[in-house]
Amino acid sequence: MDATEFDASVGGSEHLPFSANSLKFAASRSVEIAAMTESILQPSKTKLIFQTLPVHMRRRVMSHNSKRLPQRLRLAHLEQLKKSGLPPKQKRPSRKYRRRPTNLLEEYNRRQKRNVWLETHIWHAKRFHMIERWGHRLAYAPCDKSFRACYRASSAHCLMQDISYLTPISISGSMESIKEIFSSITSQKCGLGICAQAYINGCREGLINIYKQNSFPFDYIGTVQFVWTPTNPEKKQKDLWMFVHPSQSKQIESLITDLVSSKEAIEHIEPVGKKRKLSNNTSEKVQIKVWPGHFNRFCLTGPNSHAILVHSLKCIDIDKTKNNKWVCIPNVGDLYLETKSEYWNELKAIKSTSELPPRIVIGLVVKDPRTRRPSTRTKALCNTSDHVNTKFLLKIPQFVATSPLWNTSVCNSIKENRLSNAQYIKDITESQLVPGEVNDSDPKLQSLPVVLVQRQGSQDPKFKKLGYGSGWDIIIPSSYGMPFWLTFIMFGARVGGLRETENLSFEMGQSYFPPDSEAGKLEMERKEAEFKDKYFKLPPSKRVNYLKLGINSPFACPWKVLLKDWSDIPVDDFFVIRERNVLHILQGCITNKTALPEIENSASCLVQIYVKVLGKGSLKRHALIYIPQQNDIGNIESLFEPQHKDYNEELRKTRRKEHIKEIKGQRRKQSKQRKTNNNVTKKSQLKGEPSSYVKMMRELWLPSNVEVVRFGGIREVIGYVSQGSFSFTEARNCGVGYIAYNALNVLLKSNINQVLTRNTTTRKYRLAEIRVVHE
Amino acid sequence: MADEKTSQKKEENKKKPKRHHNKNYAVKKRLPARPVDGENVIFITKKTNFKAQLDKCCDLLTKGEKEIILHGLGAAIQRCCNLALQLEILFSGTCQIEVNTGTVEVIDDLEPLVDELDFDAQLRNTSSIHIRVFRTAMLGANQ
Repeated sequence: MDATEFDASVGGSEHLPFSANSLKFAASRSVEIAAMTESILQPSKTKLIFQTLPVHMRRRVMSHNSKRLPQRLRLAHLEQLKKSGLPPKQKRPSRKYRRRPTNLLEEYNRRQKRNVWLETHIWHAKRFHMIERWGHRLAYAPCDKSFRACYRASSAHCLMQDISYLTPISISGSMESIKEIFSSITSQKCGLGICAQAYINGCREGLINIYKQNSFPFDYIGTVQFVWTPTNPEKKQKDLWMFVHPSQSKQIESLITDLVSSKEAIEHIEPVGKKRKLSNNTSEKVQIKVWPGHFNRFCLTGPNSHAILVHSLKCIDIDKTKNNKWVCIPNVGDLYLETKSEYWNELKAIKSTSELPPRIVIGLVVKDPRTRRPSTRTKALCNTSDHVNTKFLLKIPQFVATSPLWNTSVCNSIKENRLSNAQYIKDITESQLVPGEVNDSDPKLQSLPVVLVQRQGSQDPKFKKLGYGSGWDIIIPSSYGMPFWLTFIMFGARVGGLRETENLSFEMGQSYFPPDSEAGKLEMERKEAEFKDKYFKLPPSKRVNYLKLGINSPFACPWKVLLKDWSDIPVDDFFVIRERNVLHILQGCITNKTALPEIENSASCLVQIYVKVLGKGSLKRHALIYIPQQNDIGNIESLFEPQHKDYNEELRKTRRKEHIKEIKGQRRKQSKQRKTNNNVTKKSQLKGEPSSYVKMMRELWLPSNVEVVRFGGIREVIGYVSQGSFSFTEARNCGVGYIAYNALNVLLKSNINQVLTRNTTTRKYRLAEIRVVHE
Repeated sequence: MADEKTSQKKEENKKKPKRHHNKNYAVKKRLPARPVDGENVIFITKKTNFKAQLDKCCDLLTKGEKEIILHGLGAAIQRCCNLALQLEILFSGTCQIEVNTGTVEVIDDLEPLVDELDFDAQLRNTSSIHIRVFRTAMLGANQ
């Protein structure tokens, strides 16, 4: 054994020192320590930080969410992320922070900058598909598939829609000057004028067709609802409120303001020499103001809407008016509370809205609807067996239509003194001893003026079920939309969106947006783009080949081409007949199969018709209407369009082959380039914009220039169906369409009053009957 | 029927307001006031398919309704009678019919066609029929 291996104490030769210098000890090992710490803090390059963790501690989201890592590794991990080029993500504020009321409101205000929101927006956004339309964000259809339920509601119960997007426009001035303004933009032939005796006392709402200045029958703009505010008949100054659809409001507003300013200019020039006094008379001046968002307007359709209103609107007593601040505003005038509440009580027993005088206007002052709400959703029913005194249905009592709602300062005062929901609940919990009890006449709640406007619905039992589409429109001061809305829902109203508006107009046989108006043209373009987009998203094997079916414009109705084909002269503008007596004569001609009368501009004239398929067969949007031949009616079952030849098919195939070849070549080139030098320039192309090849292929699928539509198939085209589907009221496939006037004349001259229809996706012809749509 | 009467009477008393052929007005119809509504009350119209209405009545009766009430107005009276008689045949021996007739006041609206006139309304009487179809035997005796 070697003794040197042991130290001195055991008998060896090694002597241990009595003390050890720690500094020296560490310094001599410093290189080792440094290497160790470095290897801990910065692990070898081949591994990422989270890969150093044991497998059971690894999480999938670690790579982008560092909080999943143990804290000691986080810093290094983030460093690594930065190195690999991932920018550190911006943190989204927590949900708790985002849902704080002030932050939420800020967010809502930001989102409202682009589109106007209605007061019921948030309620709708939770339950409906929302779309952007006419500068608003509007509800399209409920998320639950309640297509049929909405129809049932409109026909047997109550369908409610928020139509607050209608723009109110107030016009004030003397009756003569207003009449003068409207004389150039409306026509006597279409129906009653704006200053007709029937409307001027304010008891009824009117409808009027508006055209561009002095261009009747061309340049139709739209139909406008209007109400005169009831005033003393002696008073010269009159106020008129128009409710204009937002798609037309800009047009109508500029049209009327132009008219007024031009008229004023003339007035100012004339009296310079002789009568100075007349021009100083400022009361003659016509004032126009636009009040977007000043009112809420809800549209209740269906027989039960009356019961809902009866349950939710309670007239106030006379001694309770002092609680309201708005009553003290000067110019409010007499409220006629007694007559109104008496009349409203009389109407209680009515079972359906169509028993009322058509288009009647009732101004009520009601209690806050929040006090009238049932605790659970119940269906308001009219269960009384007593009948209404017919006296009240025949004659409308005087002063019923008056309402302080039309006074704008009243509306502003109401808005200011509104009790918010939180305040209301706090008030109730403080004042009511029994929980759940509500004081009907709480002095803190202000009473509200509302205006009810009846819609008469169908008045012709031969055409549509009597009273279908009737209901109430309710006009409410702004900021009170939600309380009324929720109360109506609690009493059993079903809510619909824009889809239901379109559907309702179809079921009533009316056109949703007439094609000769600006709004209608825009709507058609929008629809066309939408359908085309959908069509080209399909794989080629699933696309309908319209060329083989002999249809050249499956997604739009080329009215101008149609009219040009049916007249010798070129047509640059067209219109739809709206003259009352002419429509009457047309209907007579169709039933009696006699030739149509000669009218002016018949070459550029369309007739709106209601198509009803006889027997089975469906009718869709953009279906074509044809003239039948004499023997077609007998053997309609075997009438098919023969298959057309698709001349573009070969071309498409060759183009496709060429394109594939080209792409392959490019790819090869690119890979070669990549091998030689690394910087490959990518093709710069805007996203969303299809390439020239795609555009060319689309053109080969659907040629965009339509030159002739009349002679395309074995029968001649005379018109198109602008909207068609299964109609629940008729239990049959129906459609609203337009026919060229000259074509209708040719049809009737051949002693036939039926037409052939063909959908765009089929070769089968169907027989259908037509009728002119008129009031 | 009522229209013929008036045209005869027209010469007799000219004070009575004209019913139609007045070129200044268009006559529009309103929904007549309804009697008490319910599950078992059916209003017969000329527009609805006859078979559909018959099926509806049959369904109600077979599903255990003790009685159904059919209302018909004006030109729909004949159809209402037809329906009730059909039901009697279908449920032979287990169903009985009770018929009441009456008159219902109907309101017509006169919509002006010229600017100078106001809206107006007129009363018209229409004959009506109310048929009660009720079961006499137990359910399931027939069908």
